[in-house]
Amino acid sequence: MSDAIHIERLHYRVGKAFEIKELDLHVPTGSIYGFLGPNGSGKTTTIRLILGLLRPLSGRITVLGDPMPEQHARILGRVGYVPEQPHLDATLTVRELIAFQAAFYPRWDRARAEELVARFELDGDQLFGRLSKGQKAKVMILLALAQCGDLLVLDEPTDGLDPVVRRDILSALITYVSERGATIFISSHLVHELERVCDWVAVMDDGRLITEAPMEKLKQGTKRLVVMGAPAEIVNPPFRVLTRERTNGGGAGENWVVGDWEPGMTSYFEGVGASVRDVIDLDLEDGFVELLRSFRKGGTRR
Amino acid sequence: MIAMFRAVLYSQWKWSRLIVVLGTVAAFAIPLLSLQGAARADRGALQTQDLLRAVQSWGTLYPLLATALGLLMAMAAWAADHRGRHIHALTLPLARWRYVLLRFGAGFVLLAAPIAAVLIGSSLAVLTATLPPGLQAYPIALAVRFAFAVFVAYAVFFAVSAGTARTAGIILGVIAAAVFVQVVASIANLDVNLFAAAQTVLLLGPGPLAVFTGRWMLVDV
Amino acid sequence: MSRLLGLVVAASLLASPLCGQDSLIVRLRSHADSLLGSWREAQKLADVADSLEQVRATAGSDTIAVGGLRIVVNPSPLPWRRAAELAWPVIDSLYGSAAEDLPQHPYIFRAVDPDSGVRRAVLHVGVEVPWDLDLRATSTVLLTTVTAPHVDPALAAWLGAALRPTLRPQDERAVVFVLLVTAPSEAVRRCFLGDIARCKDVLQVGDSTGLLARWYLTPAEREALVTEAFTHYFARGATAPSLQRCRQHHDDACTALLQSLPPGTLPRPLAQAAGILLVREALRLGGRDAYRRLVARPSAPIGERLASAAGMDIDSLVVRWRNDVRAARPKPLALPWWASFAAMGWTAFFGLCALRSSRWRL
Repeated sequence: MSDAIHIERLHYRVGKAFEIKELDLHVPTGSIYGFLGPNGSGKTTTIRLILGLLRPLSGRITVLGDPMPEQHARILGRVGYVPEQPHLDATLTVRELIAFQAAFYPRWDRARAEELVARFELDGDQLFGRLSKGQKAKVMILLALAQCGDLLVLDEPTDGLDPVVRRDILSALITYVSERGATIFISSHLVHELERVCDWVAVMDDGRLITEAPMEKLKQGTKRLVVMGAPAEIVNPPFRVLTRERTNGGGAGENWVVGDWEPGMTSYFEGVGASVRDVIDLDLEDGFVELLRSFRKGGTRR
Repeated sequence: MIAMFRAVLYSQWKWSRLIVVLGTVAAFAIPLLSLQGAARADRGALQTQDLLRAVQSWGTLYPLLATALGLLMAMAAWAADHRGRHIHALTLPLARWRYVLLRFGAGFVLLAAPIAAVLIGSSLAVLTATLPPGLQAYPIALAVRFAFAVFVAYAVFFAVSAGTARTAGIILGVIAAAVFVQVVASIANLDVNLFAAAQTVLLLGPGPLAVFTGRWMLVDV
Repeated sequence: MSRLLGLVVAASLLASPLCGQDSLIVRLRSHADSLLGSWREAQKLADVADSLEQVRATAGSDTIAVGGLRIVVNPSPLPWRRAAELAWPVIDSLYGSAAEDLPQHPYIFRAVDPDSGVRRAVLHVGVEVPWDLDLRATSTVLLTTVTAPHVDPALAAWLGAALRPTLRPQDERAVVFVLLVTAPSEAVRRCFLGDIARCKDVLQVGDSTGLLARWYLTPAEREALVTEAFTHYFARGATAPSLQRCRQHHDDACTALLQSLPPGTLPRPLAQAAGILLVREALRLGGRDAYRRLVARPSAPIGERLASAAGMDIDSLVVRWRNDVRAARPKPLALPWWASFAAMGWTAFFGLCALRSSRWRL
């Protein structure tokens, strides 16, 4: 399967404060790719690099098969973008924004735009600057979808929105993907939201990619284990140890949070003279937190 | 590209319509006001000098109007982009220079209105005026000169507005350096006059501001 | 006997003042002779001083002769010869055959360094000029220094200025054109429109009686003249009430005030450039001896002298003058052709600067 976005050894720095180093990222074509990370982790910066708004120091970015930023004009004709903050002219009405945008995209779908105006219950004659936060988000999504691009890049599109608006937006996205087979790259720190829609997920923190995997694999593979009698050092485990702590109340038991877990791996512990008393499923949010904690303690991506 | 230009033109018109309308009204009115003394029947030989003085006084408004139009239109062309940090423009599927060219061209199209207003106003003023013998009217020359002044002003301010904060910093730095050098030279009693030299380069001969200088006379000998 | 004695006494008494008067006259005469002698001495000394000064001023100098022009100059970078070659045809065309008298009056120039602070000897004879002048400026120095071969006080008084050669007569015609169009005088305007009698009036080459009525035809002009040029003059004393009445548009008051001006103080409606141009026109039309004819009869009316110089009647001369002026309309204040290209060029330049607007601005 080819990648809609392919990043290799990307290096970017702004001043001494923040750096993205050795970033490798692959967004499969046709996937809904969730990009998770806490605030300030570099999600928006990575998105801007993907869209050619920032120039990397080194590395390679390929979007829809073309190099970025060299072919930015051609690529952006097939990419719909929804930024974190509204970026449209507040003095134009919704209809005027639609007309403006339509002039730049040869694949513009006028019928889809009208349909979305009705579906989102937008007033076409209302000035963009006078819309509510949710309505603005809907307009930006509308414009991105009506472009009929092969890639949608959404930077925290539902942040700060009420659940009804969030559901409307996500539903429109899913409809779009199912109709067109487009790729969606969506960044957020709202884990539960991504858990419902994404089939790939990557986690970023402090400019580094911690992990990148299919959603199910990440969810199913992240477990909390209650381990008894484990040795201090373990060698070449088949899973990834994210955190390891003594249980509350003392004793020889430990709480391990592991990634890439598969059934049958309990036999490893038997091999090292330990036993697994319990295997607890973690949801994506718990796994996300444990991943971050592990990374910040000095863990590395495998 | 035509559809893109129309879209850009429409958005720019929306931002700057008040400027264009007011500028057009002013451009239409100035020639008429400058010749109001001649609109009556000939008052005799005393009228000529009064008329020329009035025309010369009102004529000082043309370069001011041209500068104001150029500045305000350039600011209006970029204001929305500056507010949105240029993100919308930079994510459009066309090269940056094409986008800038669309904005530049849209401004020229909108500035045609006040230029036409100068031509129409001055032609109307001349038709309704009784000019003393020996005086001639130059409505076309005046309108052409006004057009050049507007275009130069617009281009200068447009280029400044299109620059990044770094560019603006460089320009301000150069000016600050010139001021510093001038101050140091004055303290050291050196015969250095950078501002006079700059004035000469800018205002005289084929300098960028040469079109603004001199007398702007709708009617002259 | 007594009668005789009385007569002798009376005669002697009468003779004594007469004898005193004789001695006074003798004293006065001898005083005058003494003064005359002193004056002659002084004159001789002055002549000696002048000649010494001349020798001092011309020491080490070269004499440049171009046509009838003689100029004595010290060594310097100034292009005297080329300037003289440029100036001489102009001088010759103005003075004609009278220019042949110029060699009798060599002109002394001393070129000095304008930037030097070194104290230099004062030049009492000749003209000091800075040595950084270009050819045109040097020619202009010559043209403004060379005086007419014959001094003509009446002509100078009529002209109100010196008649000098000019390198650009077309500019003078353009100036006079502007004067004819813009002068706040109905008489001048009628001259511009073709009334030759009015032209003669404003040029003062015709009937010189009743100038006020000839020059300022309308009440508005007379009022403007009083209120703009003579307000302070008439504001005091006996004329103050008349000034007030004049301001209230009473023409009789304005006229009375202007008529009360001393002779020769009524401002002319046309500036001196118009008269100078008329003289040039007459000299141009009259050929090489025109100037000699112009100065031949200093006491004759100016109109007659000009007609004699031009070799035609004054009306025809004035007609020619007016036609020349009308043909010399100055160029309109349009942009020169290069300014249009410069403006377009700068627009394109700044437009290109804008097109280089960077993409990298986040």
